[in-house]
Amino acid sequence: MTSVQINLPLPVLPQGWAGEKDFKSVGQLSQANDRNIEPVGPHFLAHARRKRHKRTFSEDDR
Amino acid sequence: MSAENDPAQRVAIGISFGNSYSSIAFTTGDGKAEVIANEDGDRQIPSILSYVSGEELHGGQAKSQLLRNSKNTVAYFRDFLGQEFKSIDPSPCHQSAHPVDHESSIAFKIQDTEEDKENTVTVSEVTTRHLKRLRNSASDYLGKSVNAAVITVPTNFAEAQKTALNKAAKEAGIEVLQFINEPVAAVLAYDARPDAKLADKILVVADLGGTRSDIAVVASRGGIYTFLATIHDYEVSGFVLDQVLIDHFAKEFLKKHKSAGDPRENDRSLAKLKLECEAVKKALSIGTSANFSVESLAGGVDFTSTVNRSRYDLLANKHFTAFARLVTHAVEKAQLDPLDISEIILAGGNSHTPKAASALAYAFPESTTVLAPSTSPTAINPSELSVRGAAIQASLIQEFELEDIEQSTHPMVTVTPHLSHAVGVLCISADESSGIFNPIIDAETPLPVRRTAIIATPREGGDVLIKLAEGLRHIKITKPEPKAKTEKEPSSDDDSDEDSEEEEERREKTWKVGTVLSEAALKGIKKGGKVEVQINISADLAVNAIFREVGGKGGVRGILQGGKTTQNGSA
Ligand SMILES: Nc1ncnc2c1ncn2[C@@H]1O[C@H](COP(=O)(O)OP(=O)(O)OP(=O)(O)O)[C@@H](O)[C@H]1O
Ligand SMILES: [Mg+2]
Repeated sequence: MTSVQINLPLPVLPQGWAGEKDFKSVGQLSQANDRNIEPVGPHFLAHARRKRHKRTFSEDDR
Repeated sequence: MSAENDPAQRVAIGISFGNSYSSIAFTTGDGKAEVIANEDGDRQIPSILSYVSGEELHGGQAKSQLLRNSKNTVAYFRDFLGQEFKSIDPSPCHQSAHPVDHESSIAFKIQDTEEDKENTVTVSEVTTRHLKRLRNSASDYLGKSVNAAVITVPTNFAEAQKTALNKAAKEAGIEVLQFINEPVAAVLAYDARPDAKLADKILVVADLGGTRSDIAVVASRGGIYTFLATIHDYEVSGFVLDQVLIDHFAKEFLKKHKSAGDPRENDRSLAKLKLECEAVKKALSIGTSANFSVESLAGGVDFTSTVNRSRYDLLANKHFTAFARLVTHAVEKAQLDPLDISEIILAGGNSHTPKAASALAYAFPESTTVLAPSTSPTAINPSELSVRGAAIQASLIQEFELEDIEQSTHPMVTVTPHLSHAVGVLCISADESSGIFNPIIDAETPLPVRRTAIIATPREGGDVLIKLAEGLRHIKITKPEPKAKTEKEPSSDDDSDEDSEEEEERREKTWKVGTVLSEAALKGIKKGGKVEVQINISADLAVNAIFREVGGKGGVRGILQGGKTTQNGSA
């Protein structure tokens, strides 16, 4: 996938903002829905390979 | 067959097997799908077999036999495979061999040998004979013996139907590498084009076939496809469109030749009408008028006539509107808005008709691209979408062991958590009420996923805040401003007033900020600098994000625990 381009600027860091190593976790993702992906096409095959060999995207890149 | 199951010995093709037509295709060395014409030069091969004194006719030749030898002509049988007699609708076979109940399956009674006797031929056997003919055509064309295929099926083809088709194919010497769903084959046919760009989008495949129409709403995410909703309908079909023309020409005929009788009331005449009307319908897809000509239509009277496309459009309008309504229903069923649909891929033979495409364009906003021959010069022939997809899939998997393919298509691999909301960043302001949400990963993206965004920074650079959040898609409706100059009361309850309203309400897709996930600070961004955000979300919903200035060193890394999953237990 090519990267998403976002042309609106990020906000300025508010005065007094603090976070450990400049990061602060705030919340969690909502529950996911289990759905069936279609076992078709080159990108599915890559997905299946990663899943069956328990590989991550970056391991797959190498 | 020793070559069976040996990937090295495989010659694989794609097959689309419809109730009305079938097609065969292969993928060339440079990855392009090519549809194969049979000995008659047909790429859309009627799924019909006919027997004349023991000789088997197939395809277009068999179709012409519907005129004089309908009892020994078998047509529209695909959907009967693996079914019981009580669960089928035999009506498409009214003008050909009738299906009968046979040993808890379905068969046809036909005279298929030289002998003067009827044999009971099961739908499974008919399918085997049909697939053999397709296989032979492909083998002749390719100059080598085809022995494997990917075959497309509708999304509601039951397991028992697939089992029956698999068996029938095997009898025909075809190892089925995989059954794939027709709408996904259509999407793949588009995505496999060399100039296609991988983009996340929601699309609809709208298939207007011969005996049925099938609608599928598909999330396409990084080239992976997920059905969000499907609809099947057996009322809106090529049959009813043919009937529109049958009725039209029958009436024209009766106006001039009343005494010759209604051609719809005589089997032979009706068969002639039907064949010619289908040809007229096809001609109207390209031309703005078409000729109708049948010798001895009824009562020995020849009949010629013409019809304009606009007339046909008008007569068939309610069917095209019904087709568009099916598509909007499918979108509703997926709990989406028409504004969420980026593309509608028109598939199936009747999608050649310009009115099928314009009815959909009318029902959807301008932001929805309708891909059909009449609306897009780059549209792929809607009759070839399935088979092209099948041929591409065949080339992707033909070197795999069957066991490997089965494992990869197992629910262990295919059932996947999908994001319920989009994930993105707040721009302009960090305040949730004024910040503008920009999605980086869309809802309905299967996990795990990795996406990267490049984001602008304030004009002077400096320190920025990157706030990750979920975004909820919202449809904003703006009512038109009441016109200042009008004399009428703005709150008039008169109906005619609403009709005369010139401007419609405006609907647009916007975002509301949902759960905030994290905050990260990136300091000392140079003037005009950009920020790169890479988000990894694993199947257990853990988020791993990297924030850095493009071209800068260092950066910030953040990890969010997952935890809430639906892995165990169904929703
Ligand atoms: N060029 C054309 N213009 C208009 N209609 C066409 C054209 N070509 C084919 N058709 C119609 O499309 C239908 C066949 O479509 P298709 O080949 O997609 O069917 P199928 O998948 O075999 O059928 P089914 O839906 O019955 O399983 C027929 O009604 C046929 O008349
Ligand atoms: Mg079809």
